[in-house]
Amino acid sequence: MTPDAPAPSPATGSASPVTGASASPAVPGAPVPPPAGGAASASTSPRAADIWRRWRGTLGVLAVMIVFVTATVVLSQPRPGGYLDPEATAPGGAHALVQLLRDQGVDVRPARTVGEARALAVPGSLLLVGRTEFLADENLLREIDSLPGDRLLVEPVTQALQELAPGVSAGALTDVKSRAPECEVPAAVKAGTVMIGGTSYNPPRGWTGCYNGSLISGAADGRTVTVLGSGEFMTNRRLAEDGDAALAMNLAGSRPAVVWLVPSAPQFQWDGEQASLQDLIPAGVKWAALHLLVAAFLVALWRGRRLGPVVAERLPVVVRASETAEGRGRLYRSRKARDRAAAALRTAALERIVPRLGLAGEVTPAGVVAAVAMRTGQDAQQAGAVLYGAAPLDDAGLVALAGDLDILERQVRDS
Amino acid sequence: MALTGRTGLLAALSAIVVLFAPEPGLAVAGLLLLLAALVVVDLLLAGSVRELRLERSGESRVRLGDAVQVTLTVANPGRRRVRGLIRDAWPPSARAQPRRQALDVPAGERRRVVTTLTPSRRGDRESAGVTVRSVGPLGLAARQGSHAVPWTIRVLPPFLSRTHLPAKLSRLRELEGRNPVLIRGQGTEFDSLREYVAGDDVRSIDWRATARRNDVVVRTWRPERDRRVLIVLDTSRTSAGRVGVDPASGDPSGWPRLDWSMDAALLLAALAARAGDRVDFLAHDRTVRSWVSGASRTELLSVMVNAMAPIEAELVEADAEDMVAAIIARAAHRCLVVVLTDLNPAALEEGLLPVLPQLASRHLVLLAAVSDPRVAAMAEGRGTLEEVYDAAAAEYLRSGRRRMTARLRQHGVEVVDALPEQLAPALADAYLALKAAGRL
Repeated sequence: MTPDAPAPSPATGSASPVTGASASPAVPGAPVPPPAGGAASASTSPRAADIWRRWRGTLGVLAVMIVFVTATVVLSQPRPGGYLDPEATAPGGAHALVQLLRDQGVDVRPARTVGEARALAVPGSLLLVGRTEFLADENLLREIDSLPGDRLLVEPVTQALQELAPGVSAGALTDVKSRAPECEVPAAVKAGTVMIGGTSYNPPRGWTGCYNGSLISGAADGRTVTVLGSGEFMTNRRLAEDGDAALAMNLAGSRPAVVWLVPSAPQFQWDGEQASLQDLIPAGVKWAALHLLVAAFLVALWRGRRLGPVVAERLPVVVRASETAEGRGRLYRSRKARDRAAAALRTAALERIVPRLGLAGEVTPAGVVAAVAMRTGQDAQQAGAVLYGAAPLDDAGLVALAGDLDILERQVRDS
Repeated sequence: MALTGRTGLLAALSAIVVLFAPEPGLAVAGLLLLLAALVVVDLLLAGSVRELRLERSGESRVRLGDAVQVTLTVANPGRRRVRGLIRDAWPPSARAQPRRQALDVPAGERRRVVTTLTPSRRGDRESAGVTVRSVGPLGLAARQGSHAVPWTIRVLPPFLSRTHLPAKLSRLRELEGRNPVLIRGQGTEFDSLREYVAGDDVRSIDWRATARRNDVVVRTWRPERDRRVLIVLDTSRTSAGRVGVDPASGDPSGWPRLDWSMDAALLLAALAARAGDRVDFLAHDRTVRSWVSGASRTELLSVMVNAMAPIEAELVEADAEDMVAAIIARAAHRCLVVVLTDLNPAALEEGLLPVLPQLASRHLVLLAAVSDPRVAAMAEGRGTLEEVYDAAAAEYLRSGRRRMTARLRQHGVEVVDALPEQLAPALADAYLALKAAGRL
């Protein structure tokens, strides 16, 4: 859309008064406001060049900002990935170890799914299995079990432990700290103390346990199976501490090739026969829906385009002159100002009654009461109470007083 | 630019094609590209809005409550037909109708577009520009642009009280003696001598002239002529308050005191001009807002409504000292000064009262004020407690006005305090009474 609607120009001036004596018409036939008929019209819509000139600075700054931000993000962002991810450069990742292994000539083959692992695993390779919580499926675990090569299980969950290292049972949970090997496994002996801990396992007969059971190793089904209670020492964060790097290299690099199966999302056995609702919708419908969305957007553009700018106008104040009276009435009511209300009513009534009495000389309350009593035939005391009495004690008294004043006034008028 | 509904419809219909296309993704891209191409072609073929030449003609003044037609001539010097919509934009209170109109100007021709304004407020209304939407031949897209075509409509006060003018004029003629009744006391200026007819007041017999002739001769009198009347309009905050019912739109929120005062001022001016007096007009709050002087009798009303039209109530306290100084500077000789303001005790006590003796000593001052019918209705309220309290409040304010009236009369100032609709005739009557009493 070309933003060719000019900014709303408030049509002020309608309320501007004629200022100064000179501006007012003092001569007959005088200045009438209209501009000369046939005044040339001027287009107020900006040309394309004007629009470009107005926006190019903003666009330039925006472009520079986008380029700068993109470059910063791309260059400095740690590569994403979770715990023990072979690509991740975050503290929990295992990119450093993988790099070290590759430098030593070990063929590291990252696999995200069981299917990939099956394609990569060859006899004589090592299968590293981590994050087994994503593999909690019997079929998947059985499939992993059927893969060739030795095993290195990192923090297996109970189900995975039962399936992949039968006979091993998990024991107590211990802290991750610097521990001595205290065993005969060559890889551990060479590495010395290592930051390890986590689950300690009870090695079955014929197996060896190191680091207080956090590393156990043994033979099962004709292959070497190693179970680690904690994979912490293999992460980028811990690799430089103690003998972590040595142990990790010794374990993961024990074979010329290692299949690194660390899934980053839950894995499911796919039978390939079930299909979700989404798959059942033909592609044409989805695209048609997208097309309709575009059509709706076009309709919105059609309806949203104004025919010219909004016209603003200076409006005069709207104040009812009676607002002061109404406000005073409400104030009397809220403060229960019966005395003032009664005084106002009496004053007004007297102002109307006294001129009709034809009193000569000074007007005194006693004189007025006597005259009123004489004119109306009412009891003087009663008339005096109405006209000059005490303020009413309650609301009903005030309403009654207003009525009494009216009656008295009418009687004086009619007499 | 702008799109039309046809573009959206076309896009929606082409979704059917997508539904059955073998390659739906490609179909979407292809159809949208085609639509975009059609829109671009349509835009290129649409008549240019920028090249249009627009001119205005028509009325530039209207009385409030009346309608006025503004004609816009659209000339198309381009090579392509301009077909589409046009909107002649005016401020909302100008109530322009119709808001948008169809436009079809073939190349090289002109068309006239008429917009009717029925303004709801007094003052100047300026055109807010003209916008044209020129639709292309396919009807898919339109070029849109605005032109500034300046024009101002001055909305004049309605002078509703002109209905009272004939009655007041006949009263005036009675005074002037054109009607058969000619009694002494209806004027103080000696007019002529004529023969006595039965029924004449014997006190008006001129014995000296009777002695010279053999007939009984009476003197006739007529009201003074060529007196000066200066109408002063207070445009300060008290004049902004709304009273009564807006006669132009029937708006129950009322009409500003200022407008009622203007109405009364116009009736007085019309009457005084016919009576042979010279009328000047001053609008003042803290400074002089408007000043009309020396207008001829025939032109007076049109000059005055023209001067009044743009005046709005200012939300400032009146500067009475400056006002009195302005009056004294402008009125060298004794004249009738009619001050149209509000009988607001607080405002008058602070403002006009201290400087009033200065003014009253040189001129005859008449103060006219609009009273509020709503307050009068409130004062009548009885029955419930709320109404009685409201009545007390209204009576309190009315007592204040009465006391202020009494104080002003002590200063020798005439006071007219009337309901909105009755202010103009009451002021005219007060003027006629002064004239009859020979006090001008």
